[in-house]
Amino acid sequence: MDPVKKTAKELKAERRALQERQRAEKAARAAGNAAVPAKKPASGSGASTTVGSTSATSTTATPLSETAGSTKTTDSKQRHSLTKEINSKQVDMFSHLEITKGANTGLAPKEIHPAILVLGLQFSEFKICGANARCIAALTAFQKVIQDYKTPEGMGNAIRHLKWEISTIDIEMSDDEAKKLLCEKIDNFIRDSITVADRVIVEYGLQKIQDGDVILTYARSSVVQQLLLEAHTKGIKFKVIIIDSRPRLEGKKLLNCLVNAGINCTYAFLHAVGFAMRDVSKVFLGAHAFMSNGALYSRVGTAMVAMMAKEKNIPVIICCETYKFTDKVQLDSFVMNEQGNPNDIVNISTTLAPKPGLLSEWLNKPDLKLLNLLYDLTPSKYITTVITEVGMIPCTSVPVILREYKPMVQ
Amino acid sequence: MESLKDASQKLKSSVKNSISLSAGADLFLRFVTRTSHDVTNFEACKEHLMNSGKVLVEKAAAVREKIGDLGVQFIKDDATILIHSYSRVVMLLLQRAAACKKRFKVYVTESRPSCLGIRATKLLCKAGIPATVIYDTAVGYIIDKVDAVFVGAEGVVENGGLINAIGTYQLAVVAKAANKPFYAVIESYKFVRLFPLNQYDLPTHTPDLLTFPDLEHHTDLSEDEIIGNYEAINPSVDYTPPDYITLLCTDLGVLTPSGVSDELIKLYL
Repeated sequence: MDPVKKTAKELKAERRALQERQRAEKAARAAGNAAVPAKKPASGSGASTTVGSTSATSTTATPLSETAGSTKTTDSKQRHSLTKEINSKQVDMFSHLEITKGANTGLAPKEIHPAILVLGLQFSEFKICGANARCIAALTAFQKVIQDYKTPEGMGNAIRHLKWEISTIDIEMSDDEAKKLLCEKIDNFIRDSITVADRVIVEYGLQKIQDGDVILTYARSSVVQQLLLEAHTKGIKFKVIIIDSRPRLEGKKLLNCLVNAGINCTYAFLHAVGFAMRDVSKVFLGAHAFMSNGALYSRVGTAMVAMMAKEKNIPVIICCETYKFTDKVQLDSFVMNEQGNPNDIVNISTTLAPKPGLLSEWLNKPDLKLLNLLYDLTPSKYITTVITEVGMIPCTSVPVILREYKPMVQ
Repeated sequence: MESLKDASQKLKSSVKNSISLSAGADLFLRFVTRTSHDVTNFEACKEHLMNSGKVLVEKAAAVREKIGDLGVQFIKDDATILIHSYSRVVMLLLQRAAACKKRFKVYVTESRPSCLGIRATKLLCKAGIPATVIYDTAVGYIIDKVDAVFVGAEGVVENGGLINAIGTYQLAVVAKAANKPFYAVIESYKFVRLFPLNQYDLPTHTPDLLTFPDLEHHTDLSEDEIIGNYEAINPSVDYTPPDYITLLCTDLGVLTPSGVSDELIKLYL
């Protein structure tokens, strides 16, 4: 054999061996990490059960009986071994994204307010769905935290280093006044940026819905739902096609809501969107966030719907409040995203009773990995217009709105 | 304020193609509401309104000169230009370019049914610019001989798209397919707060447009009657989406279509 080729082959073999060694080390490290937190004391897990049972009005975690504590530790041990398995089954391309391993409140430090723990639990189990609902729930939880807050001794100046709303409060103001002010500010924010904004968006959106329209929407956006209900109340005759996708099946709730209101609806899964698009006149979509390069960050599957619509020259209209605008720029769905629990894909039931499918043994299959992405990015060229509370703008004007309406507070 | 709004509504509804009119009226209303805070009594307010109206009219005429100066850089020596129908701004621009000693030829689309292209050709020839009329349908035939396309507009919408005489959209699509630059030359007071999603989302689009005739009676009609019928139900303006427009020369500067939205947001803030 040619000597040059031989060395190239050798080098390749060496490199491969090195990669295998590194991968094995990484897996061992991950296993080691998962094993350490399992040794945490029972009191930590005791707090989690308190959170689960009460309505989180108490700020002190009451220590639980020994029996309850021990069952919790075995439970958490099981969950940790599962986590270890899932970690080694990570898809390499998305290994930079954390998998939400399900709420493990046993790991939470004791200083975290129960309201936030409840919130974390609800988020991880998708009990609260949708960007707006999550935002409102988070802000309400922060309000509770602020109300129960007590300035630590001798650290009055520490307040100045908190987030900008808190830091702009006059330091002379008493604690009670400051708390009241902050809670009021949060209430105002919810009212102005979400509730009232939604109403204004619905007003603008009604201009774009006419008699005879066939409107397609994806999953469940709270603003789009309000818009369609309002259009129906106004007496506009239109039909709705709801596209849904596994594993979240959020479109079902929207379907229930619209059908109860008396709107003519069709329901289909994402793989049928090309066929469903034939008779559609407009597409309305919701948003989780909007990037400064005009790209839409929303529920996974949104990009597919938008691309299909653009292919058929159907206008794609996004309903989005301005608080969702960010000055970040994102070019693809990889660099920033969220992974859900891969076990959600295993369940193939469409009802509440879980039904495991062919993937139920995926942990035992060495080369099989499951990926459950939650969001994706829709490039600006597939979006026709964005309806915000400041009007209808092209998606390239998002940074203009940020510049004019939300100057950075330094 | 109410009477002003009513008057502008009346104006808009009286003229058939009221897009540029509505743009101007909205802008005037906007200008008036913003500047009338500092005026105290009613008489002074009335005078202020009259003056601002006069100022706007004077500015409108001067604006075209400014656009002419900006747009001249896009007409290169020995170029072949294609224009659509008759637009005062485009005429001024071409005359300005000729005055700058640039040599160029102009193809003008006939622009049926108004046939305003013929008027444009006459004016250009009088100014010493070689110009000839081509059929609207011959645009695809001639596009490879052309270096740039210039159009005016009735209105510019929020996403930077144009509303102009029927045939502009077709011209834009052909220009894009042939990789020729498509320039719009337009005064800034024609920026209008509309956001059409497609052709059928325009305020000028009614359900009577382009309907099919009653087949039973159609065979009895003479050719003249048929012509009369279809001329009534054909659209007179169309919408050109911003993807087909290269640049817009306005008195606020040379803008890209997304820059138009920027200017509009600043204006209506």
